[in-house]
Amino acid sequence: MTRKISQPPINPGTRPTEQRDFWTGGVLTIVGLLVLIAGLRHLTGVETLDGSSAWETQLVKAFSTGGLRYAEAAAAALPPLPDNPADAVATLDRARKSSTERPHAIGRVRVDLGASTPCPT
Amino acid sequence: MNGQSDDKSSGVGLSGLGTKPLSRIRPWIQAAFLAVWLPPVGRWLHGIPGCVFHCYSCPLSSFACPVGVAANYAALWPAAHEVPYILIGVILITGAVGGSLVCGWACPFGFLQDFLSKINRRKLQIPSWTGHLRYVMLIGLVLALPLFFGARGVPFEEQPVSVCRLCPAGALESGLPHSLQSIAQGGPWLMGWQKIVLLTVFLGAAVVIHRPWCRLLCPLGGLLALFNRFSLFHLRFRAEKCVECNLCRSRCSMGVKVDQQLNAPNCIRCLECVKCGAIEAAFALPAEKQDSYTSAQKP
Repeated sequence: MTRKISQPPINPGTRPTEQRDFWTGGVLTIVGLLVLIAGLRHLTGVETLDGSSAWETQLVKAFSTGGLRYAEAAAAALPPLPDNPADAVATLDRARKSSTERPHAIGRVRVDLGASTPCPT
Repeated sequence: MNGQSDDKSSGVGLSGLGTKPLSRIRPWIQAAFLAVWLPPVGRWLHGIPGCVFHCYSCPLSSFACPVGVAANYAALWPAAHEVPYILIGVILITGAVGGSLVCGWACPFGFLQDFLSKINRRKLQIPSWTGHLRYVMLIGLVLALPLFFGARGVPFEEQPVSVCRLCPAGALESGLPHSLQSIAQGGPWLMGWQKIVLLTVFLGAAVVIHRPWCRLLCPLGGLLALFNRFSLFHLRFRAEKCVECNLCRSRCSMGVKVDQQLNAPNCIRCLECVKCGAIEAAFALPAEKQDSYTSAQKP
């Protein structure tokens, strides 16, 4: 695959050696190692279907197996309804509109540990 | 692998890597890494993102695809503010230790492109600025677009445009085997025509351009290449050995201007350039003091 490329004469004496010290790479490696260990021990804020918190590894695995379950926001707890029927209807309308605009509210995602969809996309 | 280099530079010079067998053993090392990414048991470490570009929906994949995981996290962010600690850790370690070394020596998709590039030895040359498209891909398709759709409540797998839907590795490693498996079991062909077109274009491009995915679009390669300026493993120049033969640049198949910058973002660290003798692979160690002179100041 070698091909001769024409180019202006180079001056080796003016080229930087590009040598470097240990510390930037070393510190980044140590930070990466610590973050990795923290991640392996990290309980996420996402719940599994049985209600316990999912480990980060379980969440990552859910990505590849189609294991994320989005609950419908309509099934979310409704706001307290006023006694007046007209106000109650207005409250329900507001809740319905809100759920349409943002169907997967925070905390509505759960991890199905048993999912095994071969290709989620 | 030789021991300490004889100059005052920091780290261990790996001058033994500059010998001829290096380019011969690289395909074998790439092939050996397939045993890591494609173990027969498959899927057993899907909870951990890998450090190479390999689809997690491949029936034989062992690790999760880091790009797919990043896009999933971005899509999930509006619903659950989760930080991908494991992914960040894997990327930091991989990048800080070797930069884009895994691209040249371990990535299965890079290995496939190397293989395809041997079909046709005449290659189209593309300008080096096109490497910036990798960052457009990373920021746009991997982070911003999933976040945009995620904020509108669309789960990642239902998003109309996503990196996984446009990924040739996904088409080749997941769409194709799953479709063949489905047909073998009497089912339908599963892969859409868009992915077939995408895969065909990619395979064709890999024959006429050396590593088109790596050079133009790979978001993971782009991210790891940012570490090339800091990584412990690096290339360094030995002015006293340079005879201006221009062999270093001539051997570079990635279009890196090796005569101007060694640890460039386009470099996949295949180490073909070290064959000239003036460029040396090195590993920075903490023991020695860094000397900051350039080759011009050397005695």
